[in-house]
Amino acid sequence: MKAFVDGAAVGLDAAAAAAARVLGAARLPVIAGLGTDVAGARAAIALAEKLRGAYDHLASDVLLRDIDVMRQAGRILTTANDVRLRADCVLFVGPKLFESLPDLPKHLDLAAPPRLSVTKTRKVFWLGASRGEAAQVGATEIAASPSSLPQVLANLRAAVLERKTRANGAQKLVELAAQLKAAHFGVVVCAADSLDRLTIEMLHGLVVDLNEKTRFTTLALGPGGNALGVVQTSGWMTGFPVRTGFGRGYPEHDIWRFDANRMVEADEADAALWISAYRAEAPQWNRRIPLVALAKPQTRFAYPPRVKIEVGTPGEDHDAIEFSQEIATFALARAKNASNAPRVADVIGRIEQNLAKGSEAC
Amino acid sequence: MLIRLAGGRIVDPANKQDGIGDLWIRGDRIVAPPQGETPDAVYDVSDKIVMAGAIDIHSHIASGGVNTARLLLPENHRAHVPRPAATPLSTAGWSTFETGCRYAMMGFTTVIEPAVPAHQALHSHLELADVPIIDKGILAVLGDDDFLLSLLRGGGNRTAIADYVGSMLAATKAMGLKAVNPGGAIAFQNNARTFDLDDVVPFYGVTSRQIFQAMQQAAIDLGIPHPLHLHINNLGVPGNVDTAIKTIAAAEGKRIHLAHIQFYSYGKEGKRGFSSAAPRLAEAINAAPKAITVDIGQVMFRQTVTVSLDIIRQWSARPMAKPRKSVMYDGAANGAGIVPYLYKSDNFYNAVQWACGLELFLLLDDPMRSLFTTDHPNGAPYTTYPDLFALIMSRDTRAKWLADLPKEAVEMTTLPSLTREYSFSEIAAMTRVAPAKLLGLKDRGHLSPGALADVAVYNDDLDRAQMFRFAHLVFKDGDLVVRDGRVTHYRYGRTLTVQPRYGSGIDRRLAGYYDDLYGVSRNLFNVPPAEALGRDYAFEEVACGR
Ligand SMILES: [Zn+2]
Repeated sequence: MKAFVDGAAVGLDAAAAAAARVLGAARLPVIAGLGTDVAGARAAIALAEKLRGAYDHLASDVLLRDIDVMRQAGRILTTANDVRLRADCVLFVGPKLFESLPDLPKHLDLAAPPRLSVTKTRKVFWLGASRGEAAQVGATEIAASPSSLPQVLANLRAAVLERKTRANGAQKLVELAAQLKAAHFGVVVCAADSLDRLTIEMLHGLVVDLNEKTRFTTLALGPGGNALGVVQTSGWMTGFPVRTGFGRGYPEHDIWRFDANRMVEADEADAALWISAYRAEAPQWNRRIPLVALAKPQTRFAYPPRVKIEVGTPGEDHDAIEFSQEIATFALARAKNASNAPRVADVIGRIEQNLAKGSEAC
Repeated sequence: MLIRLAGGRIVDPANKQDGIGDLWIRGDRIVAPPQGETPDAVYDVSDKIVMAGAIDIHSHIASGGVNTARLLLPENHRAHVPRPAATPLSTAGWSTFETGCRYAMMGFTTVIEPAVPAHQALHSHLELADVPIIDKGILAVLGDDDFLLSLLRGGGNRTAIADYVGSMLAATKAMGLKAVNPGGAIAFQNNARTFDLDDVVPFYGVTSRQIFQAMQQAAIDLGIPHPLHLHINNLGVPGNVDTAIKTIAAAEGKRIHLAHIQFYSYGKEGKRGFSSAAPRLAEAINAAPKAITVDIGQVMFRQTVTVSLDIIRQWSARPMAKPRKSVMYDGAANGAGIVPYLYKSDNFYNAVQWACGLELFLLLDDPMRSLFTTDHPNGAPYTTYPDLFALIMSRDTRAKWLADLPKEAVEMTTLPSLTREYSFSEIAAMTRVAPAKLLGLKDRGHLSPGALADVAVYNDDLDRAQMFRFAHLVFKDGDLVVRDGRVTHYRYGRTLTVQPRYGSGIDRRLAGYYDDLYGVSRNLFNVPPAEALGRDYAFEEVACGR
């Protein structure tokens, strides 16, 4: 692993000192990406406060869709283990649900009956799967294209409420509605990644309606790379999710104002710290503001960072606490292939030390 | 470092002391007045009240549910004050950092998070690692977990149950055991909408009574200092005083702690079918064996959010949510519900609830058995404690509040007739001595030589709320952390745990059980060693009796 200042290889200390100069000189720095473990998120949010900057996550668009539905309408949620052990009726909604969680189908074990249920059978449906996906979990497929999905769901909800619809394929939806209502403990499985906000809210409404007579709940799959863990960490540290800023000396949350891409393009942020320790992902913005990057070696940047520090992958190069969607909470991921590649939290620690030195000097 | 607190009124009921004197601190401990030594620092605390640091046994400060509440309600905790340089994030509304600071400012030095689902313990420990100043601990919740219920279905082998509970306490690094409407979460997954003491959990065929009694016995058998901490069935339901009284009887005189009993002090009298049964409940508790302790769970009038693992109760509260949104969680081995709520003084039901809590405070005769809580944030945020101290210390203050309440609500209670006023000594017993005893913390809650130097010094302000809101001085482990109601700097406390001895054969059995049932290693759920949690997280073991 290596560190670079203006493209030239340097030691980690020199890189941290240069990073501190870039960030310390900024009027409004933004910490973006935030693809890191809990320790990295803690360090980054604390640094954002110290710098009176803002922070955002690379998956914010997806994360905030779920969060927005929750804080507008609420949610009824469950865990993968409850689907595995208790659900006698599972409805998958939307395409590509397992893309960031390839081990999930095996974990859900839907071919077996739910072991902790009074019901000994399990019915599985998939509304709007992409090709070949439904077969992975032995689901009965009900076709819907991504663009028709909102209308199909509206029709399904109407069928659950026994309102008449004359839509195409209405009979299929009436049958599906009957199956959902006959469930003992049913679960809708969906991911904000493949649904828009209104569709997620409609699904929540469907689940609420089904609970009038029986039990139904939701498994909401999130993006990988500890994105959910970063939101949780942000929650207890500041009270708010990502897209939070400290310009006034206390945290303010605003999904528009503290959108990192917007802040850069609108000339509000004048330096950035980009963090992506899980994947070789670069910032999306075009304006060339001074950039410090804690990134994977293979990352291809649109323009060269002033400071680039290659960091290890949490759970690969070093032990890391991350949010595990398998168990729906935090867990320690032991390093699969321990190396001395630096951890995001340690690099930020060094940057902070240099900031402190800088402030003593002046 | 030798410190002398000179000339204060020392209120230390554990030592039957209430009088003027000096208190000496060396390092992190209280010491006897040393002979012929000059202190490094002297604080003139004449005209001040000196007490041990307060201990909160039941405050939801750190969990997945609490964090969901934060994310659900951004509108309720906007910050407005820039933080001072030495204390990062201390003014972030409802952050873990703010929690440590605001508790310290009130003279609280130990706080227990009482509702941690056993499978989500790491989440709570991560949050607690970011709570500065105070010491803390968690209670692990069992009672809706398949392993325990299967043991009970199979006849309830007492040794196996104790071993299992011991193993789970060790895995979660908890300091005690809690049950929340035990069996209710599974019942709700099976479409039950109410769940009573003798209702049967579907699939398992055991009753809530059987579950709590088995857990109560396990805590006793393991010798853990804190007895089973029980959240009774039928919380908030009119007429539920009968459930509470049945539960007291079902405890069979053995050690148990009954949480936030205000929420179980309701009758069904009057034209609205809702009345205070607090006098009846207080009478039952006063007459019960000393092994039974309670905390109050006082309601105060303001916006709050209820965070509870009692999903049956939270589901039924959904229509009353204000603002109108809530999160329900059918979680692995536990449910949870987060429902925002606005307690209003002009609301008949809320006014009765408020009065019920105060009646209990005033009618329970032993401050060592009736502990001070608001079930933060469920009855009210802990930040309302100072107002509550003022209410129980002054009947004039109560009269002023009562004058603003709906008459028909006041008529459903006996509160106006109660004249009792708590003394400083009783306040200290209720918030220092009793919680330390209940948690098995021998070096806290009192000011004897050798005790931990957790000390709160208050101005003897006639405005008792003001007095308790901003302590004059607070020492944590002998370190002055609050001066004139402001936190001067951060330090990080320890997390209290128990390490009960249990037959380790259960761990082998559980390893196979998790692999098979959940398809993941049990290790994934275990709280890793402190060094993995960051910020020099540290555990402190509380001795078990076995
Ligand atoms: Zn509680």
